Amino acid sequence: MLNAVNGAFAPAAGARLAGSFTMSDDAPLPHPDLVAAIPRLRRYARVLTGDATRADDLVQETLARGWEKRRLWAAGTDLRAWLFTIMHNVFVNQRALAARDAQNVSLDGEGEAGAAWQVPVRAPQQAHVELLEVLRELARLPAEQREVLVLAAVEEMRYEEIAAVLSIPVGTVMSRLSRARAKLRRSASSESDAVAPLKIVR
Amino acid sequence: MNTTGGDDMSAPVGDVDIQAWADRQLPPERRAAVEQALAHDPALAARAGDIERQNAWLRDGLEVLLAEPLPQRLIDAARMPARPRRSRRWVATAAVSAATLLVGFAGGWFVRDAQLELAGTPTTFAQQAAFTHALYAADVNRPVEIWAPEEKRLVAWLSKRLDYPLQAPDLNSAGYALVGGRLVAGNERPTALFMYENTAKERLTLQARKQSAGTDETAFRYSVEDGIGVYYWIDDQCAYALSGKLDRAQLLSIGRLVYAQLTAPRPAK
Repeated sequence: MLNAVNGAFAPAAGARLAGSFTMSDDAPLPHPDLVAAIPRLRRYARVLTGDATRADDLVQETLARGWEKRRLWAAGTDLRAWLFTIMHNVFVNQRALAARDAQNVSLDGEGEAGAAWQVPVRAPQQAHVELLEVLRELARLPAEQREVLVLAAVEEMRYEEIAAVLSIPVGTVMSRLSRARAKLRRSASSESDAVAPLKIVR
Repeated sequence: MNTTGGDDMSAPVGDVDIQAWADRQLPPERRAAVEQALAHDPALAARAGDIERQNAWLRDGLEVLLAEPLPQRLIDAARMPARPRRSRRWVATAAVSAATLLVGFAGGWFVRDAQLELAGTPTTFAQQAAFTHALYAADVNRPVEIWAPEEKRLVAWLSKRLDYPLQAPDLNSAGYALVGGRLVAGNERPTALFMYENTAKERLTLQARKQSAGTDETAFRYSVEDGIGVYYWIDDQCAYALSGKLDRAQLLSIGRLVYAQLTAPRPAK
């Protein structure tokens, strides 16, 4: 039974909620679109940082910067590309700071693809096994190559868009992409080659 | 593509062309030349196939990250940061108080919601339903995990995960066809989501979550969250929320349709 289709308070409730969440002219960023962008931002951040917590920190920082710079977003343009651009810049700055700190503290030459990458412990479901495998392979690439590869292959961004997000020429996008793919292919084939040649012997 | 060093049809097919072909970004004027080269050069074709497989492997592997529940701190960060000066919070507070006084008889459930909201935590069922709707209705590639052609498997799977016999209402009479469904992470327990779409590609979601035992209240309520209308009610052991960018009357009529189907005796299939 519908015993409380309540016309009496519903408008008040609607007004109340709208009042506390509706954007004013001061806030040109559409909230639902921002929330909708979060899963993709997290995925990209995860690939960049290799660590779930640092990835979420990066997304949070990206959203905060987005709000700070909201006047720079041209309404109607691609919000996702704009957010990815901010995230790239935040990430590059953080890495530069981290590199400077590392220099001051130690001579640790482990590099970006090394120690920071953590492999999370999870139930060994098939999807997670595949995720870990992909993250492990991506970790072998320099961050610059990882970025273009994921933006092109996973985010399916156009090369020109990637160039704009990363502030590099399209030619550089293509060469990094080519190197990333060759490197991944080599490591993938070196694993399978260990078995394959034996089977050819008759 | 400008970076190939020549857009004309006769330029030799190079690595950039092969990548663009595999990434589905090949400019139309290069298509003929590249496809001819792929047909005649097995090494090129193998390279293109490798890239396609690698792309699929990356996409499939990372897909699972999209389905992870969103941490509250990121949902909060997506909201406009509070302005330090002039707050409108007191207006909202006053409105809540007035509404609570007016409809105090509506019961403790609403009051609990109001208190949660005053605490600033967007955790009510309606709010959660609205941003889950925003999240997946906007997803072009993968709004659902299981698509409508596998409705039977979808319903069985979600019923099992919720431990409650669900069904996907038929909303074709309202112009909305089932797209499919997915499991989403609710605050306390898993939530089943069914997505519908009309011919104008406008989407509706029906979300269902099992309630704790002893909740027998059935209330039909409406709210607007960030421009998304939500009708929600509790029926027996299940809480439902119907969300969409529709006006109140449209949403209500579809809500009645859903309600009627969910409470109707089930035909033996």
